[in-house]
Formats: sequence, C-alpha cells, structure tokens
Amino acid sequence: MSGIIRLDIVLREAVATPYRDLVTRPTGAAVRHRVITVLRAMQDDNAELDFSEVGLMDFSCADEVVAKLLVETVGLRIPRLMLRGVRDHHAEAIENALVRYDLIIVAVLAESPGPRLLGSAPEDWRAAFQALTHFGRAAAPPVADALAWPVPRTVDALEGLARHRCLVAHPDATFELGAVA
Amino acid sequence: MTRVVPVPSHLDHLSLDQLAAGIGPWPPPERLLVDAHATEWSSPAGFAALLTLGQALVESGAPAPELTLPVPDVASYWAKAGVLRHAEQLFQVHGMVPRRRVDETSDILLPLTIIRNAADVMEVVGRITEQATQILKHELELESSVVVGFGQSLSEACQNIVEHAGTAGWVAVHVYVYRKRLSGRKVAVIAVSDAGIGFRRSLEATQAKRFGDRWSDAQAIETALIHGISRFRDPGRGQGLSGIKRYLARWEGKISIRSGTARVAIVPAWDDEPPRMEGLAWFPGSQVTIVIPGKEPKA
Repeated sequence: MSGIIRLDIVLREAVATPYRDLVTRPTGAAVRHRVITVLRAMQDDNAELDFSEVGLMDFSCADEVVAKLLVETVGLRIPRLMLRGVRDHHAEAIENALVRYDLIIVAVLAESPGPRLLGSAPEDWRAAFQALTHFGRAAAPPVADALAWPVPRTVDALEGLARHRCLVAHPDATFELGAVA
Repeated sequence: MTRVVPVPSHLDHLSLDQLAAGIGPWPPPERLLVDAHATEWSSPAGFAALLTLGQALVESGAPAPELTLPVPDVASYWAKAGVLRHAEQLFQVHGMVPRRRVDETSDILLPLTIIRNAADVMEVVGRITEQATQILKHELELESSVVVGFGQSLSEACQNIVEHAGTAGWVAVHVYVYRKRLSGRKVAVIAVSDAGIGFRRSLEATQAKRFGDRWSDAQAIETALIHGISRFRDPGRGQGLSGIKRYLARWEGKISIRSGTARVAIVPAWDDEPPRMEGLAWFPGSQVTIVIPGKEPKA
C-alpha cells in the first residue's frame, strides 16, 4: 500500500492562497503539520509526497516541508517515505535542505522515470541504490555481484538505506525499492 | 526647525550613502525635509530606501517628515513605480502628485510593495511568477530555470524582512539596461529594504561574543551573507541567503547588502563595487539589492 499526499491540495487547505507556490517558512510549517496528521493516520503504509502540481518552492519551504518532516516523523511506522513529481528546482532546494541534517530521501523526478536519492547519502549508498533499481527486490549477494563489491560492504549500504526509509528490508534478507523501481 | 536632506540626482543603492549623510543625528530632533526636487532618476533600491527612511522616521516618533517631489516628468515615473501611493502615507508631500496608475506590465515587474508578513511574500512571489515570467524569459532571454531561481531569491529576500526586521519593509523589481557595466545588457533588479533592527542587532545575541571588538555592521552582514549564519540555532536556518548566493554564483548575479554603517557585496566580474565598505553614514534597517543579468546579446 502506498498513500499519495498531493502537496498542492495540502497547501490550499493550509493557507488561503490562489497560488501553487510553496514559499515562506510559516507556509511550509503549516503544510508539514497537515502532512504529519495524514501520515499518523496511515501507519504501516508507504507514503508519497506528490509535488506534480506544486509551482515554485523556495529554500526555506524545502527545509520546513521535507527536512523537518523527516526529522519529525522518525517515530512513525511508515516503511518508506518518498517524493514524486519533483522538478529540478524542487530537487535542488530539497537536496540543500537535507544535507544540513544529514538526511536522505528517495525522489522520482518529473522529467526522469528512475528514482534518485536526494540529500547527504554516502557514495556507497548511492551506488547500492542504483544497483538495486535494476533488481527491484533482491538479497545483498546479487547486488554485490553487480557492483563487484564484497557482500558485507553491500549489506552495510543497503541496511543504511533501509534505516533511512529509502528502501524496505524484508525478513528474508531481501531489500526492495518497491513501486518506484 | 527643519533639516533639509538632499536626495541625489541619481539615487541608487550606492548613492544612498549621500542621502544617509544628510540625515544627521538619529532620531532627528528637528523635522526632516527630504528634498528630491533635483532628482532625475532612481533605481528600485533608491525608491525602497526613501520609503524606509519615511517609515523609520514615523516609527521613531520624530516629527512627521516632508518630501519635495521631483519635476513632473520624473514624479510621474515615481507614481508609475508605485512610490507615491506609499510616500503619501509616510511624508507630507510637496509638489503636484501625478494621479498615474501603477504599471506592472513594462520595465516595472513589481511596483513598490509593502511586506508585513508571510502572506505578503506569497502574494509577491505569486504575482511575479504569474505576470513577470514572460518578460524575464523574452526580454532578458532567461531560461526557465533562471526565472525559477529568481522567484526563489525574491521570496527569500522578502522573508528576511518578516523573519528578522521586526517591522515592515518594501520590495520592488525592475528591469533596465546596464549600458556601461554590461554593454547594453538588460538586468533584473530586486530591491528589498526595511526599517528594522538591522543585521548587527539581529545577530548580536548569538554572534557578537565570537568577534569581540571586531563585531560591527560589516562583520554582521558578512556573518549572514558569507558564512550563512542566522540568529536561530536551528540547523535549517540561514538557507535563504545561502540559496540566493548559489543562484547568483551560477548566473553571474550580484548581491549587495547595506545595514547600519556598512555595505557588503558579492561582486561578479562585470562590476566594480567594493566588496566591503565600512564607516558609511548610518541609515535605518537593511537594504538588499540583487541584480541578475539577462542573456548576452548575440553579436
């Protein structure tokens, strides 16, 4: 299961504005609080924040809507939290916001079909993530083979990504990107 | 008694120093007459600073200031730029006030607009992205990504008023031609000015100790602009100016910030503004000027 939260709709509910732009900290905070309320109601489901109909997003709002959201939802039982419909300027603002907290998130950009990591992911994590996109779901050994890495190094990277809710670690020792792959 | 404060014939973010020099002690014990009768031209930064001076005088409890308008042709442009409708609220205006409509469709992308809260910032950014995008794309030949960054920078510059000034401020966006410095290239200029507490006071509680005797207006501006430090301890803060800097570095833009008695600028190769000026005449609040050059004309 994956719940899609359209940020343009949340914005309209949170702030009386005719515009589609996510700008200013108070606006970002109001949107974040509403998103957190929705996430609390969907425990154990994956969640996707949909940017498709969002206009401009400034740097402060990227901090309030995405970075602080990740910080404040650490305790929630959301297996995966990702972004979709992200445009280049959204991605850049989000990436810069996440780096300050040492956080990462999976995003599917509007202009490219494949998922990518935004934020401060170590190179190993990025490489393992990229390799896993070819499998969808796999145990560490085939991913290690694809990367020509030792298995423990691959496990470290995949488990790190799972801890950050960028993929799911299953009880059978496989890792899954899910619908984004 | 009335003290006459002459407005320079060309008022921009640099000649603002001359305007400031005429103000005298603050708050002024006598009425100020801001005399623009010989002013021929003003940049959006000059307009915003004039309103800031009026606002600061009103808020300081000084005697109500007066403003002498320039000649009718120039005053007509002031009306078009949205200056006079606000000036009439702050100054006792002398001279014929042209009843000209504010124009948002030509070189004035955003007439002088007051920023009091986050809703005002949303409105300004929304208007710019809806109305001015075509002008930025066609007249300055800016790519979509540059226009988006322009909107982000405008938003962050305006938010500095809401977050840090402690009072209202002003913003204007104009397009004009830099004949000397950029050989006729068009530029878009964002001017933001407030009558608030300034960079030094905003950062004093958290930063002054680190610098000891070296703490000054210039140091405070550099702390925020160059080092991305905010008065808030939240790690997510300070992103506004950092984001503006990244954007300007990519597109050869310029930012100049004046606060108190100092001005600090990040200067691209095409300009020769000194990067750090201290000991200037004091002026209230903070003034931010951002310049984004249009595409180089084809040879």
